[in-house]
Amino acid sequence: MNSTAPTPAAPRSRRLTARTGLALAAAALMAGCAQVPHPSPNDPWESYNRGMYRFNDTVDRAVLKPIATGYETVTPRPVRTCIHNVFSNLGDVWSGINSLLQGRGRDFVDTFGRVLFNSTAGLGGCIDVASMHGARKIPNDFGMTLGVWGFGQGPYFVLPFLGPSTVRDGVGTAVTLTAPATPTAAVFAIDNVPVRNSILGLYIVDTRANLLEADRLVDQIALDRYSFIRDAYLQRRKAMLDSRQKSIRASTADDLNRKDAPGGQSLPVYDDPEAAPAN
Amino acid sequence: MNFPSFPRILRRAIGPCLLGAALLLSASAGAAERTADPKAAPNDFLEAVANNMLDAVKADPKALQGDPAHIADLVRRYAMPYVDMSKTTRLAAGRYWRQASAAQKDALVQAFTGTLIRTYSGAFTRVTSGTQISLLPFRGDPKAQDAVVRTTISQPNSSPIGVDYRLEQTAEGWKVYDLNVEGIWLIQNYRNQFASEINRSGIDGLIAALNTKK
Repeated sequence: MNSTAPTPAAPRSRRLTARTGLALAAAALMAGCAQVPHPSPNDPWESYNRGMYRFNDTVDRAVLKPIATGYETVTPRPVRTCIHNVFSNLGDVWSGINSLLQGRGRDFVDTFGRVLFNSTAGLGGCIDVASMHGARKIPNDFGMTLGVWGFGQGPYFVLPFLGPSTVRDGVGTAVTLTAPATPTAAVFAIDNVPVRNSILGLYIVDTRANLLEADRLVDQIALDRYSFIRDAYLQRRKAMLDSRQKSIRASTADDLNRKDAPGGQSLPVYDDPEAAPAN
Repeated sequence: MNFPSFPRILRRAIGPCLLGAALLLSASAGAAERTADPKAAPNDFLEAVANNMLDAVKADPKALQGDPAHIADLVRRYAMPYVDMSKTTRLAAGRYWRQASAAQKDALVQAFTGTLIRTYSGAFTRVTSGTQISLLPFRGDPKAQDAVVRTTISQPNSSPIGVDYRLEQTAEGWKVYDLNVEGIWLIQNYRNQFASEINRSGIDGLIAALNTKK
């Protein structure tokens, strides 16, 4: 019976999957809207965010994570490190440009030195020779640049498929996706479609595989994965921005007597519940 | 090092029993190389603690393979004595701490200690013989009651991980009470989770939730 009409069945089932996917996403959003008993002040869109988080997590568990886990099992670590370093070297170009946009000339020069050194002596980025010689990677992106330029970060915002972000970082991501000097742009510059798609796939799998370890750790230690990831994301972005603003001011004002918090970065202030009754 | 055949002669002549004793002796001599003195300057104290921890992982074949139980054992032995877990837990619980009974406080500290051990162990799962810990120059006031020591854990052929420690001066000298991995402070990251868990199912619920994590 089935063998009589095999061709029309395929597109219909594909359309059906697409429609089911959309329905699932909508259901995830609706479910998210239903209950958030104690919304956190830094996350006013928590109900939408939790819905989108659940959607991303479902997609991840169904597709990305199994592939990344398989990749991690099948590929020896030195090969994975090499592939990761090649993409990371391509990414350094965009980081360097952002350092420049932020007025951080020193970081720009250091990052471009890294790219030159790793692309040549490091065999196209495969070996991170620059890090071995003490030139450590300086991560940077356009969301950070917008922050340095004075744009507020806005509410926490979970992007479809891409995960944790804020309004500002989401704009940064959108700009990055259209920028001409990123790993994705480099991949899309390849004319041969099968090769391009394979490398794009490898880039996605490498990115995901690199997060597997962190993922396992979060599984072991988080009480609530959603808020653990959110708070970690917001904290890390804040720390990155703080360090950039701090050293911009330090280099322009050259004020040696400035009163730093210990460690030179702003530290979290906790109120000790036992300090008050003791006094 | 000058007498490479010495252990072999010893083994043949006196037997494996004595060798075991000799190994034990040399192991304890190795551990005594760096004494972690909580009364020293924060950077010196922490350098000793962190390096003793790293050396212990490097010397344990199972821990080198990333076995979490083994790494956790080493963390318990080499790092936990210098951590003020009661303070860490108190700060993470914030105002809810005062609602807890003495027994609940103890249970909560115990439960959160497990979480902290797993978190810190995570930083040591990829240690190889080439792993190094280096300390960034101390930038605070050494006479302050509260200090931050910044370190990086570096691996050959990959980007280093930044790990910072927050310490407090106590009667017994410096004690670590908060930990930062790549810009993320541990206590800060648990405050919201503690609050919502307590709001949902009370302090006992939080203790139970922490204990179900393995």
